[in-house]
Amino acid sequence: MAGATTFPVRASRAIPRGAASDPLWVRIILIGIVLVFFSLFLFLPLVVVFHDALLKGLGHFFKSFADPYTQHAIFLTLLTALIAVPLNTLFGLCAAWSITRFQFRGKSLLTSLIDLPLWVSPVIGGLIYVLVFGRQGWLGPWLMENDIRIIFALPGIVLATTFVTFPFVARGLIPLMQAQGFKEEEAALTLGANGWQTFWRVTVPKIRWGLLYGVILCNARAMGEFGAVSVVSGHIRGQTNTMPLQIEILYNEYQFAAAFAVASLLSLLALVTLTLKTYAEWRAARQLSAGTE
Amino acid sequence: MSIEVKNVIKKFGKFAAVDDLSLKIGTGELVALLGPSGSGKTTLLRIIAGLEFPDQGEVFYGEEEVTDRSAYHRKAGFVFQHYALFQHLSVFENIAFGLRVRPAKHRPAEADIRDRVLELLDRVQLAGYEKRLPSQLSGGQRQRVAFARALAIEPQVLLLDEPFGALDAKVRKELRTWLRSFHDTTHLTSLFVTHDQDEAFEVADRVVVLHQGKIQQDGTPREIRERPANDFVADFLGLYTESAASGI
Repeated sequence: MAGATTFPVRASRAIPRGAASDPLWVRIILIGIVLVFFSLFLFLPLVVVFHDALLKGLGHFFKSFADPYTQHAIFLTLLTALIAVPLNTLFGLCAAWSITRFQFRGKSLLTSLIDLPLWVSPVIGGLIYVLVFGRQGWLGPWLMENDIRIIFALPGIVLATTFVTFPFVARGLIPLMQAQGFKEEEAALTLGANGWQTFWRVTVPKIRWGLLYGVILCNARAMGEFGAVSVVSGHIRGQTNTMPLQIEILYNEYQFAAAFAVASLLSLLALVTLTLKTYAEWRAARQLSAGTE
Repeated sequence: MSIEVKNVIKKFGKFAAVDDLSLKIGTGELVALLGPSGSGKTTLLRIIAGLEFPDQGEVFYGEEEVTDRSAYHRKAGFVFQHYALFQHLSVFENIAFGLRVRPAKHRPAEADIRDRVLELLDRVQLAGYEKRLPSQLSGGQRQRVAFARALAIEPQVLLLDEPFGALDAKVRKELRTWLRSFHDTTHLTSLFVTHDQDEAFEVADRVVVLHQGKIQQDGTPREIRERPANDFVADFLGLYTESAASGI
């Protein structure tokens, strides 16, 4: 891929000429509104988070992370993401492959259902698992008998997180795979490559930036999810508290500096995500234009 | 190796893309499948390659029935209209692909792969281009890499889907001549799809005219031009207007 950096990017994403011919005052006002909105609602809060986190000095900032409950929350968040993200990557690949490759009954329904977690409130995402696995839920009595804990435990948190984050990989891949088509895969097949070889040697390199894009977004959401996890977690300190839940608890206990310190860690994650996402998006667009030229 | 299809039917919904069609291509022939878009010629080619499967009918490679075998088993050399090169691989690795994916016991040694790739590059007049990526090549060069890639696996038959369709007129002419002389030296059984009658008549020994999934006429370029079998063929080749013009 090293050689690829030398090609000119195609101008397919260039702004059409007509758009630049709006009067100057229209442009100034529109750009102005966007900038003011951006500063007030996005940039300012971000500054506040970091400002408040560091209000009592760097020493206090780092001391916030020495708290064992906070440390456990960070550990739990990472563990949850480590399980949910690979699961959804696998699921997203399967879904994108089936939807773009095969014709089958209920395909449009499946395509719509993938988006379901984006439509419903995350709280509902958590509640459905309580209704299924909770003490009064369908499987509740059986689970109790066999001493399996899902709700108020790690499995519930992972389930809720997986539910909320499952659209991201599939949604990142479907348009890309539709645009790319399957001619290269067919070529690989006629050259004697089996399905596995075709997938790893042809498909994965073709979609890798789109895949990375989806994985990054999925990860960001997995680490930041509050609503769904809040319902199934039970807020047990040092056991079932993830980072977002820990922030809430710290804040409610007037430990503002500690709350903002943890919040700043999540915000930092968001900034890193944004940078990686933009890069992956840019590479995906370039890969697509190189492929369809 | 010869190719034969017997009573092949392929439907997409209610539309019969290939409608009870039989065709035999003898060993060493160079045949053109000529027809307008939607005539079923590409579908027929893909059925022969194993990229589509017929609803009914049989496909033979030589004496062997391959109807239910996928492209992976048939290993016909296939050249796509839009090249379908692997964008992330160099020209060298594109051509070597078919050799590298072989099971370990059939895979040639690295030095042999190298010799084979360089020899093929020479053959398609692209010596020295092995390190380039496909996106650094012109359309004609890309299609020649695609030829070399298809030939690397030493296929028994060569199938070409509108191989010159995406190229400009000058390059198209050059590649036609190249394909003809390639065939004259190798006598590899070849079938190519085109909607361009000049291309079919200039390159092929035998032209099969397709319309609505059926063969309208099958003969040498000369036979078809001099004695079109029906109104469709005459009309498609523009012969009526010519004979009308000369009749005045």
